[in-house]
Amino acid sequence: MQKLTITGLVIFFALSLLVSGCAKKPADDTHGMMQETTQVEMEKNKPASVSETEVMDTSAADAAADAAAARAAERAAAKGLEQINFDFDQYVLTDDAKSILVNNAGLLRAAAAVNVLIEGHCDERGSDEYNLALGEKRALATKNYLVSLGVAAQRLSIISYGEEMPLDDARTKAAWAKNRRANFKVKR
Amino acid sequence: MKYFTINAFVLIMLYVLCSTSYAARIEISAPGEQTIPLAMTRLLPMGVGGAKPAVVAEFQEVLQGDLELSGLFDQVDPASFLSDADKLGLRRNEIDFYQWRMLGAEALIKGGYSLSGGRLTIELRLFDVVTQRLLTGRRYVGQVSDVRQIAHTFADQILKSLTGEKGPFAAKIAYISKRTGHKELYMMDVDGHDPIRMTDHRSIVLNPDFSPTRKELIFTSYNKGNPDLFRKEIYTGRESRVSLKQGLNIGGRYSPDGREIALTLSKDKNSEIYLLGTDGTIHRRLTNHYAIDVDPSWSPKGNKIAFVSDRRGNPNIFIVDVHTLDVSRLTYEGKYNATPAWSPKGDRIAYARMDNGVFNIFTIRENGSDERQLTFGQGSKEHPRWSPDGRFLIYSKDIDGGDKSIWIMRADGTGGRKISARGGKDSHPAWSVHW
Repeated sequence: MQKLTITGLVIFFALSLLVSGCAKKPADDTHGMMQETTQVEMEKNKPASVSETEVMDTSAADAAADAAAARAAERAAAKGLEQINFDFDQYVLTDDAKSILVNNAGLLRAAAAVNVLIEGHCDERGSDEYNLALGEKRALATKNYLVSLGVAAQRLSIISYGEEMPLDDARTKAAWAKNRRANFKVKR
Repeated sequence: MKYFTINAFVLIMLYVLCSTSYAARIEISAPGEQTIPLAMTRLLPMGVGGAKPAVVAEFQEVLQGDLELSGLFDQVDPASFLSDADKLGLRRNEIDFYQWRMLGAEALIKGGYSLSGGRLTIELRLFDVVTQRLLTGRRYVGQVSDVRQIAHTFADQILKSLTGEKGPFAAKIAYISKRTGHKELYMMDVDGHDPIRMTDHRSIVLNPDFSPTRKELIFTSYNKGNPDLFRKEIYTGRESRVSLKQGLNIGGRYSPDGREIALTLSKDKNSEIYLLGTDGTIHRRLTNHYAIDVDPSWSPKGNKIAFVSDRRGNPNIFIVDVHTLDVSRLTYEGKYNATPAWSPKGDRIAYARMDNGVFNIFTIRENGSDERQLTFGQGSKEHPRWSPDGRFLIYSKDIDGGDKSIWIMRADGTGGRKISARGGKDSHPAWSVHW
């Protein structure tokens, strides 16, 4: 009986370590603590039944592991979604862009809870209004390709900023190439 | 808010008899065709009240600036003026026309002013020196701060009595400036004086247009996250969203009667030109093509709309008939033609063409003939818009590595001058109707 309680405590501590280990960001600390308290109360109210405890512990561990994996995937998506670039006055995806999107799609499929805003941008050359429409076509082409790679369409929204938000204000070919892009913002 | 009071001054027409009959001798319709030798005397104090040289100087500067820009006049050098210039006499029988003929002047402006209790009165006359007739006479009463508005209004009147059509100087220019770090909507006088910020969205405000019938502006803003079309009442400052469809709600342009708005919507995942009622309801979809369709501009009759489309590859100007929806192509030269602006006179359409990354302004007839390049040289010139009388174009000029500001030129491309102050990254000007 005592042995079992100790086993239970060990599992509990391992769990709480796991949970708090995932919560690296300060904003998530309260969340971790809440889970801890819940766990303690569960321990208190638990009837002293061997088989029940074991089943509960196993599934809780699985759930926690799943949650941890999901959170890791979310973080990976938030960090790993790479922007893609376009040719001048084009919204057709280049081969480079497609291979980046394949990687992005993998990240998004792994993080099913993550919704993403795709922003379409242009370089400063060209007319403002035309570029707003072009930026939207870029965002839409990006979205459609991700959908074709198995990302649910309702997770992806788009907006165009035309030439209004350049990454680089310089008037060089390199700056323009950098500015013609679609990038990703994770929405929570 | 100074611009709230600009209408405060009273306009009284004098000598109604004479004002309708302008001299047959002086007849000009377009700038550059012929110029009139004009003598413009300084305002002289009338009756009671002390002299106020600052008022005189400001009036002179504004009126002279407008008349110079018009390109209709050769100003007779004031240094050569004789004794009549120092006489207040405003009646034709008090004027020594012989003196003015000797100087080669064919038109003469004389005026007087008085100040009492903060009220400024300015009396002005325009004479035909050759026939010795009064062409127009006006008395303006207002506050001292109205002096610029009075000068602009009289400049408009001078153009009216000499050409039959009022000038566009007593008006406002709306434009976008990034002075605060964000693109916001501004308004200023036609000579760039008195710029006032109209929005505080701290987001991205784009591409304004004046209502032709009300003191009202429309523009696009990202204020609520999506590029929505906003309306702003200028006097009350009241702001509301007219069109907030998902995606683009951009490039809004009032119809000539002010009852509809043409704009670009992309609610169906592709940019198309639509007509809205002023309440924001969709009246009609004008284009239906998978290509980009943006930048509508109404013909003055309101039956056609010029717009930009890349449906044949590169961006070019097309025209759609509002009733039949027939589309015809307007521009063929160049690889990138955008931002059409249909002259209120109806005869020409202005647009910006990009060549090697640099825009210049062109005009072309509605049938695609007689294309002319109006601007040359350094810097990108974009966003051409007409003055309401079709005599002038206003545009933005972006000098590489330098300044981006608002410029004005005559419809033939001459007389270009910068009107907005440095450092604002100013763009997208629009010219109001008579204010």
